[in-house]
Amino acid sequence: MNDSLIALLTALGDDELVIGHRHSEWTGHAPHIEEDVAFSSIAQDEIGHAAAYYGLIAQITNDDLDRLALGRRPDEYRHTILCERPNGDWAYTLARHWLYDSADALRLEALEGTAHNDLAAVVVKLRREERYHMLHAATWMSRIARGPVEGRSRLIDSIATAFPEALGLFESIDLEEEAVKEGWLPVPSDELRARFAAHAAAGLEELGLPAEVVPPSDQSAEFVASSSGDLIEHNGDGTSGNEIQPSGLGGRRGHHSPDFDELWDEMTLTYRENPGATW
Amino acid sequence: MTTTTVTESIWTALCSVMDPEIPAVSVVDMGMVDRVEVADGRARVVILPTFSGCPAIAIIQRDVADAVAQVEGVASVVVDTTYSPPWTTDRITEEGRTKLREFGLAPPTGDAPVLITQIGLPTVANCPFCGSSNTRNDSPFGPTPCRAIYYCENCRNPFEQFKQI
Repeated sequence: MNDSLIALLTALGDDELVIGHRHSEWTGHAPHIEEDVAFSSIAQDEIGHAAAYYGLIAQITNDDLDRLALGRRPDEYRHTILCERPNGDWAYTLARHWLYDSADALRLEALEGTAHNDLAAVVVKLRREERYHMLHAATWMSRIARGPVEGRSRLIDSIATAFPEALGLFESIDLEEEAVKEGWLPVPSDELRARFAAHAAAGLEELGLPAEVVPPSDQSAEFVASSSGDLIEHNGDGTSGNEIQPSGLGGRRGHHSPDFDELWDEMTLTYRENPGATW
Repeated sequence: MTTTTVTESIWTALCSVMDPEIPAVSVVDMGMVDRVEVADGRARVVILPTFSGCPAIAIIQRDVADAVAQVEGVASVVVDTTYSPPWTTDRITEEGRTKLREFGLAPPTGDAPVLITQIGLPTVANCPFCGSSNTRNDSPFGPTPCRAIYYCENCRNPFEQFKQI
């Protein structure tokens, strides 16, 4: 029964670690100093959150946190594809940031009801910090959505790319049925996905941005083959008939895109080259 | 020495363990000490991490262990952390708030936000230099995860606030 708990914690921790790593790439490169600081802080928070989830795994397995974060092969990571995508331009960064943190907010809200007391305590703590991430993302989305044409149109294109992949955050985790049965995951992934799709679509509408987007066909085709068929056929509650189909699936099974090979190579370089180093 | 005396001595020792990033306040001022337990000379201190990504926690754990080990009647010490109860800015003592202000850091104001879906600007911070509430939030993120950046329209100084969580 611990295996399904570890599967859940691995998915949660890996999402935070990998998106945190991508955010950290803005350190020293963001459009202006406040954003440099903001993305660096958010990255630090997310990697701290990953450490909190890995800490819960370590309580069960006695594993080492650095090994969990940096000592695994790429196919042992269970984050969703969305998190590993390169930052691209500022518009893509913001679209993904907003979608990810909106999804994470709903996920954390549900996880407050988990049957694992230590996880519930961590979730209460993280939600207080995540508020600032959502505030940051929402402020920027609103600014760009109402701003000049080029920024707005780039944002719309980025949402079209990122929204279907954000639905991949709710691809079922390993041992999902058991995790739900044990109460670790109090709301099944497909129900969370339906909640998120409706919530994000409403948020985009409020911002005056199109929510009904068609992902570029080359991207949607990339990982569908490696995912389970039930996700593709899913038609959840609270969404319109022309529901956006998830794409970029497979991450929860360890099937990642070439983007992750590059990220993994850099993220784990120091760990691999200096085994056992402490800092 | 009685267990009660040792416990009190440990609390006194903890009052001199400073936050490595804000050396004006102690871990007790910050409300970071959840509890102190003593049995047969073995001490256990439970610390509440402030921000989960805060790198200072490892330094704080070490400093707490070093300080408690010096206390008479303590043979061994263990420093644990827990997220239950969660540390919130409501735990910072009145004395801690005064010290933060003197350090040039506006103390957190208002209620700690509970729901991340409550989107809104962080509450107003009073300028630690002139006391004015005529300030604006420049960024909810500052040089450490726990600080936000403000500007005082009255005395025209930028300042930082320990943001509420």
